[in-house]
Amino acid sequence: MAYVATRGGEQAIEQAERLFRAEMGEITPERVAEIKTALPYLIDRVMGEASLYDEDLAALALAQAGGDLYEAVLLLRAWRTTQPRLHVARPIDQGTLFTHRRISAAFKDIPGGQVLGPTLDYSHRIIATDVLEGARYIPDPVTPAATPAPARQPSVAAWQAENDLVEMPGFDETAPEDIPDVTREPVLFPATRAHRLQSLARADTGATLALGYAAMRGYGQAHPTVNELRLCEAEIIVTHPRGTAFSAGRVKVSQAEVVSKKGNTLELGFAATLGWNEVKCISAATLDLNSKGALKGSPTEEEFYLYHTEGVESSGFCIHFKLPHYVTFQSSLDAMRSAKKTGKTAEKTSTSKEPAQ
Amino acid sequence: MSVTPQSLKTLSRAWEPMSYGFLDASAKREMRRKMIKAVAVPGCQMPYASREVPMARGWGTGGLQVSLTLIRPNMRIKVIDQGADDSVNAASIRHFLARVSGAPTTLDTLQADLIQSRHRIPEEKLNEDQILVLQVPNPEPLRPVQPNMSVARQMHADADYGRMWLQLYEQIVRSGRVMQGASYPSMVNGRHVMTPSPIPRWDVPKLNMAQHLTILSAGREKRIFAVPPYTRVEPLVFDDVPYKVEEHHDLTCSRSGAKGFFMNEIPQEDGSSAYELSDSGFGVKHIQQGIGDAVTLGKTWYENGEMVE
Repeated sequence: MAYVATRGGEQAIEQAERLFRAEMGEITPERVAEIKTALPYLIDRVMGEASLYDEDLAALALAQAGGDLYEAVLLLRAWRTTQPRLHVARPIDQGTLFTHRRISAAFKDIPGGQVLGPTLDYSHRIIATDVLEGARYIPDPVTPAATPAPARQPSVAAWQAENDLVEMPGFDETAPEDIPDVTREPVLFPATRAHRLQSLARADTGATLALGYAAMRGYGQAHPTVNELRLCEAEIIVTHPRGTAFSAGRVKVSQAEVVSKKGNTLELGFAATLGWNEVKCISAATLDLNSKGALKGSPTEEEFYLYHTEGVESSGFCIHFKLPHYVTFQSSLDAMRSAKKTGKTAEKTSTSKEPAQ
Repeated sequence: MSVTPQSLKTLSRAWEPMSYGFLDASAKREMRRKMIKAVAVPGCQMPYASREVPMARGWGTGGLQVSLTLIRPNMRIKVIDQGADDSVNAASIRHFLARVSGAPTTLDTLQADLIQSRHRIPEEKLNEDQILVLQVPNPEPLRPVQPNMSVARQMHADADYGRMWLQLYEQIVRSGRVMQGASYPSMVNGRHVMTPSPIPRWDVPKLNMAQHLTILSAGREKRIFAVPPYTRVEPLVFDDVPYKVEEHHDLTCSRSGAKGFFMNEIPQEDGSSAYELSDSGFGVKHIQQGIGDAVTLGKTWYENGEMVE
């Protein structure tokens, strides 16, 4: 009977949770603050997947979940559910983004310049074991550039459009309050562009990478060139009921634009998310780029990748297999036993090896 | 007539950390609308937003959203998982429902106004005043023949169930019988094929022309459907191959002595099997009756191991 012991259920789950929490001890405001300052990229990843921008809550969720990312994201999403949708901010123009990092792999140089910004891309990945022996790891100070890079940069695609190299999507005239919201309505297929990009924005990073990588390796038709990758801060402009527009603050966002040659023009794939998460944006943009005309059921087809990159759903379903399934199992056993009695068995399916073996 | 001075404070309610029953008013409104649609078109899957709730997806979040929407402080709730009230996840859901609603709970099917269940329908008959909420992992009966939901949706619209029938036929040809275990695909009101959720085949006939309302909700897959009271639910069968429920007619519960109901099989060290009632609340009542306690056993769908028509 094990975990369905008579009347033992409530006590068992209570104690099991205590055991989990005892391991991590007390959660203090200091612990939350330390997580927030020490692990900004983890905070960003969690905020993106939760589609909730709040560094303190994200740090708290991580502390409460003991660092289990799926649990942390679920905590934030469940909290998000209880919050009212107060306002729709103004659309953000790329040229207005306060840009920390912005690179293009498509051109050696671009208007506004290549801005490396903060990155580990060219670092040597050598772990600082000294720290474990008592040394302190003090980062070298940054030498400021003689002339700072402009904080606001035009988009690379805008230049390409001027030069008739890329077909830009038309401006979407949908009124702000009518923009489909993936948290308030189900995604149906073919999905609206808003739903697709919103779903990708909150998709699980690992899952997005897995399917994006499959597309990059050749399971997709289009090979991505990173037209532009940005890490920036976006001003959230809202309008007061009296009509005054004001900034409610800035949020960190990242975005990737990838292109691929299609005939005599370039096709665009785009993705953006809350927080700085380059791997996710490039992967998601690659999926977006490959969706057009993708075969039903292929990894680059939107129904396939949107369902399977949804981290809260996929992780929840995966762990649900731990729940008792003995009724279903009993039902299958019954069918199997009765089929055995009648003597007929399924034909053996042939197993074929890969030709190279 | 005296006029009370009005202010924001007198006009609005005091701040609360969360709405009654956890879900906010807009979420509940959507749930109510989708439930009404589901009742209006029996067996037809209605997409809904499916908000995140404080439980993992796949753990009854669909059923939970229905329960949270329907719940009232005076509604008596029962939660079961695989037939058992004390299964760990049932305990967790019951605790959560009670915590956010103040509603009383019960283990007795006859006392319950609302029953949230994973994969079983109680053995005692439900009446017109009761609502059964079934948790659904996969709402799409066509999934084995069509994994794409968008395509499957079109097939339902066209009542295109040929492949479904073919699959059942192939099973008979290969194995001599329909091999479907739980989740037996069933035609609702002569129009929509639905999965009754992974309830055993034993339980499917209980839905046919039942007095109670059944709402089936899949939170992860964001689909809700319903079997209204007095609605036909017919398992897909061929005329010459009758529907077969699990062969539990002659099994006796080793703990309560009850016979002719759906059982859990408990492997024994000597290689044999013992059986116990899957409906734990029903089993407890049998045991209580055995020791002379005053308990009320309700009418059952099955009598002497046979479904009462």
